[in-house]
Amino acid sequence: MIELPTIIKSPIAPIDLVKYSGASGDFNEIHTVPAVAQGQRLTGIIVHGMFVMGWAAAAIEEWFPKRQLKSFSVRFQAVTHPETVLVITGNLLAGNEGEILVEDREGHPKLVGTFVLQNKIL
Amino acid sequence: MMSEQPIIFNYAPFLIESGKIKEFAKALQLNNPVYLDEEVAKSAGYRGIPTPPTFTTVIDFWNDRSFYQLVSDFLKLTPNNVLHGEQAYEYYKAMVVGDTISAQVRLKDQFCKKGKNFFLLETVYKNQWNETVAIGRATIIEMLEVNS
Repeated sequence: MIELPTIIKSPIAPIDLVKYSGASGDFNEIHTVPAVAQGQRLTGIIVHGMFVMGWAAAAIEEWFPKRQLKSFSVRFQAVTHPETVLVITGNLLAGNEGEILVEDREGHPKLVGTFVLQNKIL
Repeated sequence: MMSEQPIIFNYAPFLIESGKIKEFAKALQLNNPVYLDEEVAKSAGYRGIPTPPTFTTVIDFWNDRSFYQLVSDFLKLTPNNVLHGEQAYEYYKAMVVGDTISAQVRLKDQFCKKGKNFFLLETVYKNQWNETVAIGRATIIEMLEVNS
């Protein structure tokens, strides 16, 4: 098993969610409009799950720049609010399989996942 | 109730454009130059600029028959009431600029657990040659009560 370099992201800003909404087409207002989020009994706007998965995928590309994904599977653990600093860690297991974890700086998990690369490394 | 619903939902065919990939890559702060530069993409072995791993979201949402219709018409849910629980992808072939992707969704399972409704969706993405390029599997949760 190889421990992969930890990646610490810049705090997520509300404008990042506006940009991601526009780019992805996911205009669910719980991601951008505080009043709507509060109407859904959330404490404020929440980050798109697929934004967090997108960053996780970017981390895998950073770890393995020349490799492509064969499969990638995640489970979202908790909602993420703006201003959160996400910390991405991972391990390369045997062959071409790895695991990834995205959590906040306090260690609360946001996403856990597994991935398989097209070609074996170990 | 299930038998009254169609079992399959079809997204409209979706043309992959370079500007959309660039916008998506920038929104996620992706640094890989293959998403921005055709020459770099071709020298990396792609037919053209490829899509990032989670780009299927764009196919689902920026679509004439979109994920909103899937949620409201097919699953009969309120879009603001759903959360994404799990997402998995299998990748078979690259999707590149100029490809037209068709996607078909099947409701694989539906169950209630701990007062929440779960919907397991499988989406098969095919290119203009009818080759399966990716399969997405999503768990959508209908929020009846939010813990935050």
